Parts: sequence; structure tokens; C-alpha cells
Amino acid sequence: MNKTININLAGIIFHLDEPAYEAFKSYLSRVKSALDGQEGAAEIIADIEARIAEIFSMRIAEFKREVVTALDVDFVINTLGQPEDFQDEEDATFSDQNTSSNGTKTKKRLYRNPDESYIGGVASGIAAYFGTDTVWIRLLFLGLLFFTPIGFFTYIILWAAMPEAKTTAQKLQMRGEPVNLSNIEKSVKEELDSVKERFGRFRQESKGSGKNVADGLQSVLAFIFMVLETIFTFIFKFIGIILIIIGIIFGSFLLLGMLGVVATTWNIGGLEYLTFDGAVLGLNGLEAIIGTGTTLNVLRIGALLTLLLPLFGLISLIARAFGKPLANARILNITGGASFALGLILLIYSGISVGKSFKVGATEMTTTTLSGNQFDLRADLIEENDAFLFEVDDTQLRIENVQLNIKKTFDTTATLVLKHRARGKNNSSARLRAQSFEYPIRQTGTVLTFNEFFSVPKEALYRAQELRGTLYLPIGTEVFLDPSIENIVYDIENYHNMLDRKMLGHTWRMERKGLVCVDCQDIEYYSSDDLNEIDEAIDEVNDGLENLEDDISEEIERLELELKRLKNK
Amino acid sequence: MKIENTKAQMRKGILEYCILGILQSGDAYASDIIAQLKNAKLIVVEGTLYPLLTRLKNAGLLEYRWEESSSGPPRKYYSLSEMGQQFQKELKGTWEELQQAVDIITTPKSTS
Repeated sequence: MNKTININLAGIIFHLDEPAYEAFKSYLSRVKSALDGQEGAAEIIADIEARIAEIFSMRIAEFKREVVTALDVDFVINTLGQPEDFQDEEDATFSDQNTSSNGTKTKKRLYRNPDESYIGGVASGIAAYFGTDTVWIRLLFLGLLFFTPIGFFTYIILWAAMPEAKTTAQKLQMRGEPVNLSNIEKSVKEELDSVKERFGRFRQESKGSGKNVADGLQSVLAFIFMVLETIFTFIFKFIGIILIIIGIIFGSFLLLGMLGVVATTWNIGGLEYLTFDGAVLGLNGLEAIIGTGTTLNVLRIGALLTLLLPLFGLISLIARAFGKPLANARILNITGGASFALGLILLIYSGISVGKSFKVGATEMTTTTLSGNQFDLRADLIEENDAFLFEVDDTQLRIENVQLNIKKTFDTTATLVLKHRARGKNNSSARLRAQSFEYPIRQTGTVLTFNEFFSVPKEALYRAQELRGTLYLPIGTEVFLDPSIENIVYDIENYHNMLDRKMLGHTWRMERKGLVCVDCQDIEYYSSDDLNEIDEAIDEVNDGLENLEDDISEEIERLELELKRLKNK
Repeated sequence: MKIENTKAQMRKGILEYCILGILQSGDAYASDIIAQLKNAKLIVVEGTLYPLLTRLKNAGLLEYRWEESSSGPPRKYYSLSEMGQQFQKELKGTWEELQQAVDIITTPKSTS
């Protein structure tokens, strides 16, 4: 199935299929630009159009078809020749005339060209100024638009800055032709000729088809329709351009994201910088969450399918920019759209199935008894560059989610309680995960060394595992908090209400009232300001109460007086 | 000096004369003129001719009228104008002179 487009050629309607239309349109516009500025150009073009109509009619009758195809257009081009060809032969006489009649060249000026405009005529104006083909300037703008927003803004600014060539003199200046009487006369005459020609043809047609020439209503309606068409075309073009820009921006984001998924799940090197999760989770982040099972494959296929549409779009856009629209663009669009929808469904499916496996949580607890009454807490630091939320190697998944707290116990020995938390599809899988933690703690003398991360088997996958450790200290024990544990300590309560960060590098003793700093120089109280505020509030309340008391006693006095008066009565 | 340019120049001068010649022997549609010229291998593609016809018409050498066509749009039916007739005659004279001159110059002198 093919869409056809109706055209009116020399008063005859032809149905052209899409490829034929595009080819014919570009051919005709090339003919027009080749003949541009030539004497009687409008008439020549009308003659050529009539001839093409003749050839089309002939071929349609010959091959018993109703639709003009690309083959017919090729035949026309072969018969009539390339526009450059029939320019060449004329050129010699024309340049002769030009140099003999008028040797002086006038200064060119930059105008927008309203006669050959697609949007605002900026590109064709520039092309006229530099004497090149408009296509190149348009391609340049498109190219700029693709890589940066510069193209867009340049175009808008130029649109605003360049005046439109309205008068004949301006149009001549735009092309760099001298503005003199004979040239203006020529241009005006050409315009008039073309109008006359059209009018004459119209009359001829009406006569030919037996219509009433005086049927003015029809021509008035036609005129109104033409005006409306022009206005709507402009509006649609404008909306279209905005949509294209939005589409390009949105599309490139989507493209980058999808490329990221493909690159990370297949470990395509060199694309790491494109990936969102590559930066946050490490290159294998997705694999750690999704595993290597069916879901990963579903996600990969989904991502690839979603990529097809923007890819096809890009291809047909480039093809269009080069003036050769794809003949089977429709098939591309449909397959692209279908695969996009299918891909999206697959992506959503894999997202939901991953989400489900986070449903239930479970906690396991291990308790270690520690000997001694003096501790020195340290941590093995992960290098700053390698900081991660989680990371996969061949067998293990390392997760950096460890928090350590210190609390008081009335036991006689210190204990370290580790809570392993994990999530899963159901209770048993969550529990199984919570049991398979690996978190070695080394004790050498008084020094306790922690890791900033714990490990789980790779197969366990990332299911929001976390480790919460609590060090229970008997009263009288002392503990030194090395600055290296900065990343794992979390909200340790202490008598001075000091922040964790300030507690580091000091020795603390567990007392009945809580942790007390042994070697702090000047202890910052957490809430001196807060205390003042509370005092003020209490004062206020007291004042209020006093006032209330006064009021009440006054009231009582008044009532007593009243009572007395009543009794006296 | 390109041979192609020279050829084109020669052909162009003759082309106008030939068009007038075709019309001298009877009125014709543009497509008829083209067909004859193509037959004589004076032109290769049709597009060349339309600007030329328009120029000759604007110069007042040709006239045209619209004629209905059984297949396709109405056609332009060209004929020589008064001025065109004279023009053609004059060109004919010039052409014969030229032909003679070229013959005399380019053929070997044995037959003089």
C-alpha cells in the first residue's frame, strides 16, 4: 500500500505516490532555481510543466495505471534533462548580454528570501548572498541543530535580524544584481507575465471544461482557501519545528539511557561514561541487581528494541536532510513504533519483577563477645576513587552499607552485636540472604578493625542488604575512636551530645550516665542555645500563670462582694 | 578553449535557425519541434528547448495559440510571425553563404 499525493500540473490532476512526489518536487524546484532570474522564467516553467503533464498522461494511458510512479518521474527527467544542462546552453548568451549591457556589479545585501522559504527564508537568503545552493546552508543549520542548540538560536537571531526582501529592488540586491531601471522592469514584467499567463490559462481551462468564466464565487473561495492554507502551513511548520526540537532533546536523553543499559549489561567498554549507573553503582551495577537470569535478557532485549525507534528516526531524518526520503519510511516507522512499544513493555516487566524481589525483609543477628576493657576502633578505608554502593567481582558482591553504634550494657564483658538485614521475594529467601553475610572483624590486642563494606555471594544479588553493628560496652570500659571510622559510625549517643564527627580522635569512657570524653579540651555542648530557649519558655509560662492567679483572685473578691450585697438584701 | 564550448556555440546558432526552418514548413507543437530536433540529433534533452522557444517568442519571431489536446493539457501551437518569416529568410541566405564559405575553405583546392 502506498499513499498518493494529488498535484495539479497545468490544470490536470495527477496522483503521485510518495517517492514519485518527493523526486518530482525536488526536480521541479531544481528547474526553478536553474531558471531563476532568466527572462520569462515563469513562462518557461509553465511550458515545462505542461510538457511534463503531457508525458504523465501519455504514460498513464500507455501502462493503464492511475498513479504516477517514480519510474515515470525518472522518465521525465531523462527526457527533459538535468536543469544544469539546459542552463549551460543558455548561460553563454546571458553572460554576454550582462557584460555588454551592464558591467557594474552592485553591492550584495543580506535579505531573507520569501520566495524560496521553508521557515523564514533565512537559509535561502544566505545562499543567495553567497551564491551557493540553499541545500548546503540548510544542511549546515540542521547539522548545528543536531549537536548543539546553536543552530536553533542562530536561526532565530538571524530571522529577527535579517530584513525580508520585499521590493523588487531588494530582491535584486539580495542576488547582487544591479538595481537599475531595465533590471527592475525585467523583474516586474516577469511577475506580470506569470500572473497573466496563469490568468489566461485559467480562462482557457474554464472554457475547455465548459465552465462559466463568470463564476466568480469559486475563485473568491479559492482565494480564501489559499490564504487560509498559507496561514495554517506556517503555523504547522512552526509547531512542527518546536516538536522536532523537543523530540531531539528528549530522544537524545532516552538514547543515552538505553545505550547505558546496553553498554552496562553487555560490558561494552568505553561507554562507561554514558551510563547513569556506571557512575553510581560501578559498571556491573545492573547485573548485581538483576542477576544473569531471564530478567537480564528481558531487560537487554527491551532496551535494544526501544533503541530501534530513535535509530530509525535518525536514519530517516538524515535521509530527508539529503533530499532523498526513504521509500519505505512507513515500514521503518511502523516497525520502530512497534518495537518501541514492545521494548517498553519488556522494560516495565523486568522492572516489576525486580521490584517484587524486594518485597519482604528479614534480619539475622550474630553476637561476639570481646575480651578486655579497652578498645581502639579503626577501619580499613576504601580508597576515595573506589567508593561504591555495591560492586561485583567473579564470586562476590561487596556492599558498602555498614553502620556502627556504641551503647551501654550492665554485663561485665563487651559484646558486638551485628544485625544483617536483607530483602527478598518471600520470607525464606530474605532470611537465606540475611544469613549469608561475610563481615570479618579483626581484634589484635586492643585494636578492633572494621571494614567499610561487607560481602555476600554474587548469586544473592543486591537486595537492599545492610549491616547494623552495635558495640555494647560495660561501665568503666574505655574506647578510642580512630578518625578512620568516620564513614561507619552513626549517631553515637554521648553525655555531651557531641556530633559523631567531633567524637573522632578522642578516648571515651562508658559511665552510668553514658559516654564521657576523657581527653577533650573544650567540650561543646550540643544545646546551650536550646536550653536558653527552654528557660525562656518556662519563664513565659510562669508569668502567664501568675497573671492568671491574679485574675482569679480578683474575680473571687468581686464575687464575694456580690454575695455580700445579695445577702444584705 | 574547450571543444565542448565551441560545439555548444555552433549548435546554438544553428538551433534557432532550425526551429524557424521547422516552423517555415508548417505550424507545430513544442513537442513536435522537439521530436524533429531530437531526430536530427541536434538536441539530446527537451529541457534545453523551452527557454529558447520563449526567447524567440519574446523577440517577436514566433507566435502561438492554444490548442486542445486529446491527451493531456492544452498545447501551445507555434507559428512564424511576419517578422519571423523575414528573419528566417535572412538566416537562410546567411546559412547558404556560410555553408559555401565553409566548404570553400575546408575542402581541398583540387576542384577549383
